[in-house]
Amino acid sequence: MIGIVREEIDVAAVLEAAKRPEIGALVTFLGTVRDDGIERMDLEAYEEVAVQEFAAIREEAIEKWPITSVDILHRVGSLAVGENILLIVVGAGHRKEAFDACEYVLERIKESVPIWKKEVREDGETWVPGEYPEGPA
Amino acid sequence: MQIQVRSFARIREAIGGDLIVEVPDGAPLARLLAVVGDVSEEAQNALFEENGELKGYVILMRNGKRVRQGDIDALALADGDEIALFPPVAGG
Repeated sequence: MIGIVREEIDVAAVLEAAKRPEIGALVTFLGTVRDDGIERMDLEAYEEVAVQEFAAIREEAIEKWPITSVDILHRVGSLAVGENILLIVVGAGHRKEAFDACEYVLERIKESVPIWKKEVREDGETWVPGEYPEGPA
Repeated sequence: MQIQVRSFARIREAIGGDLIVEVPDGAPLARLLAVVGDVSEEAQNALFEENGELKGYVILMRNGKRVRQGDIDALALADGDEIALFPPVAGG
């Protein structure tokens, strides 16, 4: 399952759906809204391109490691502290490749998928600066 | 011909939202960007340096594919193209 979503991400449902007889390890990354003195966090995405990028990143991970499945769900909209932003679930026969692939998928998302975050505080709003100012070529 | 211009994050806020821009047939991307910059002072400041160069942080896409800033003078647009303008990404 891959997508940009507007509703709360149901982590347990995604994990349950990812299970297969050949999978012995499901590694999960869950990014949540941290309380940095904010009232809320607004997220927006270039959706069509973001979903294409998720699919491309999934294919990259499946080529690099012997893994069975990759699920990526990213929330957009206005989120409160503690809400789920990003869920990555990697399923594999064994743990090592699942951990490595999960980290790879996360770093690739941060590097290249067109999604932006704005921190909303009582005294104003700030766009979170991108970590990769040049971006991929 | 008509070009759809989409923008995101602080560049969207500066431009004011998505636009449909009319440019002459075969116009290069640079011509379109100049038209978008003329929408408002905020749009001009978000996209261009005072010397008229495109700001280094502006990322460009044509129909979902990255376009290098160095190619904006050579890239001829086609009717119905979708151009996207945005700052460095910050998802995850």
